[in-house]
Amino acid sequence: MIISPEDKAHFVDLQKGIDSIFGRSLRIRQVDAGSCNACEWECTALTNPVYDIQRFGLDFVASPRHADMLLVTGPVSKQMELALRKTYLATPGPRIVLACGDCTVDGGVYKGSYAVTNGVANVIPVDFYIPGCPPSPMRILTGIRKLLAVLIGKQAGEMM
Amino acid sequence: MERVYKKAVGVKKFLNEEYIEVGADDFRDICTYLEKKQGAFRLMFAADERRIDGTFKIYVVFSIHGKDAFAVIVLPLKDALFYPSLTVNIPAAHWYEREIKDLFGLTAERHPDLRRLVLHDAFPAEVYPLRKDHCFKEREWVREKIEDKKIRSYEDKKDTTSQLLSFPTSYSFMQVEGEGIYEIPVGPVHAGIIEPGHFRFSAVGETIFFLEPRLFYTHKGTEKHFEGMSFSEGVKLAERVSGTSSFSHATAYCLAVERMSGIEITEKAKAVRTLLLELERLYNNIGDIGNMCAGTGLAVGYALGAVTKEKLMQLNDRLTGSRYLRGANVIGGVTKDVFQQADDILNTLDIVTKEYKSLMKLLLGTISHVERLENTGRLSKELAQKLGVTGVVARASGINDDIRKAHPHLLYDRLYFEPHTSVRGDVFARMTVRAAEVECSISMIDTLMESGYKGELATAVKDIRPYSHALGYTETPRGSVFYWVMSDEKGRPMRVKLRSPSFCNWPAVPFAVHGNIVPDFPLCNKSFNLSYSGCDM
Ligand code: SF4
Repeated sequence: MIISPEDKAHFVDLQKGIDSIFGRSLRIRQVDAGSCNACEWECTALTNPVYDIQRFGLDFVASPRHADMLLVTGPVSKQMELALRKTYLATPGPRIVLACGDCTVDGGVYKGSYAVTNGVANVIPVDFYIPGCPPSPMRILTGIRKLLAVLIGKQAGEMM
Repeated sequence: MERVYKKAVGVKKFLNEEYIEVGADDFRDICTYLEKKQGAFRLMFAADERRIDGTFKIYVVFSIHGKDAFAVIVLPLKDALFYPSLTVNIPAAHWYEREIKDLFGLTAERHPDLRRLVLHDAFPAEVYPLRKDHCFKEREWVREKIEDKKIRSYEDKKDTTSQLLSFPTSYSFMQVEGEGIYEIPVGPVHAGIIEPGHFRFSAVGETIFFLEPRLFYTHKGTEKHFEGMSFSEGVKLAERVSGTSSFSHATAYCLAVERMSGIEITEKAKAVRTLLLELERLYNNIGDIGNMCAGTGLAVGYALGAVTKEKLMQLNDRLTGSRYLRGANVIGGVTKDVFQQADDILNTLDIVTKEYKSLMKLLLGTISHVERLENTGRLSKELAQKLGVTGVVARASGINDDIRKAHPHLLYDRLYFEPHTSVRGDVFARMTVRAAEVECSISMIDTLMESGYKGELATAVKDIRPYSHALGYTETPRGSVFYWVMSDEKGRPMRVKLRSPSFCNWPAVPFAVHGNIVPDFPLCNKSFNLSYSGCDM
């Protein structure tokens, strides 16, 4: 059993969220802002046949111009700061920024180093965080599910 | 070696490391002699020891052929901030000398290319972060400003994009001139889910004439960051230097600290470490073989490789609580007795072996795949030797070098294995060498599981004597990794040098892709499978 039944239950909510807000297609642009690369591999794992996120309408795209959401990893090294901001600017609004991994919160294990900016929020506005070092693929998926739940809540609030 | 001793100012021996102090006049000659006649160049670094004896020191580490010994050439720099460059005679020293210049401000005289390497424009020139008296002030940090106004006009598309997207840089890329030559800049943000780096291709039609990579975007100041931690906290950082080599990095770091402080780890701890090192190698090699299929568009091979890799990652998780085997290493030993889950390991291994065999059968039977790999991205043995490449890349170019054999550590002296080499030097060779290593890892794990091991999981940590130092090393899935640690007067880290295999192998990529077509670059790159984070530190 590679994915447990409890985990599968999350998928239903995830699908509902993507269907209702994003018209069945949520496109993600991943930006490595100085991560150790484990976070990226977990994102890559999401596209393997075990997790197969494409079936939910989620996918990673090649350009920020095609993206609804930026998924940022790493503490943001000073040498990646400019590139991250440019990528943010190149993403059409309204854009969601999802920061993935402990590093993105405050620099994580690299906090205080001369070469990092101690967290994504110091560079671009962040909407959601997914903790973990690295967060497992399942955890990233449940993170996205929760994010969608919050967005649905917001939408409902605006309509009232 | 007599020739070296005769010129030495002082010789100190410690375990299998021999520190040979030399004068500036003999420095280049001795290093060249060692590299050409006696051994292999491993790494080179500087240390700021002005607090101890008023000098900066340059260390150059060689492995001596045919025996488990290191010769470490030490050059103290008393007043001078320069030393004779080795690059002219030992091309493998090229990046190391540029790195030393950036981080310590020590210049290699007669070095052919002293452009900045590690630090980009976010750091002003004359900032040398690894010097002891350097404390980085935030105001020194050059933040590229993109003002709000510009952002808005950019979104309105009134502004020309060139203003924003131009690369404000004082770094000058090498330029190739001639009829029909054009440049393709790529990165640092790439199309796939990969790490950041900039590649500047000079192409003629479809053919790559010249490639200049500009890396170090993910430079995180790791070496300096170690100095602010205790040695035991450092394990956590070592695990996070390069994601998919977490365990090997942590092992090399722990070995260095243990050797330095005279801790003998138990047989049990050695067995667990050896086992986990091989599990790490296994998931990497299978994943890499699958990944190469992404470079040739063979989706089914990519998917199969990813599924098998996922099974191994989940096994890692069940064994250590981390898919990347983090938290399993501590100074003095390990935290988990994974041998208690022997059944799980053997069962998973059975499934993985079957899946892997059918994957290889599929790949080798798919002509369209094999043809793309053959003769692509060739790196000759001669070049590989000159550039000092390591790991799978070196072995695929015919260099029989493996730290597990050259300097046996943990239980590697008890396990039977032969480094696999190939003389082809192309992408295909890198795949077959990986495949051979998969089989080798599986059989090593099987052998390890057959016997029982005595001892505690971890031994007590001893006090660390002031100013002691030692090397730690192991073979990661990408090649050899080295740590050199030194303690200060209080027994805390004074200098931690880390040298990841990717730092050695990146300079070889431009040579391997020369003459290939641009669309084959991702394939070549995947066959090298280098870590950016590990290289950038
Ligand atoms: S959060 Fe952890 S796994 Fe992710 S990039 Fe940071 S150190 Fe690596």
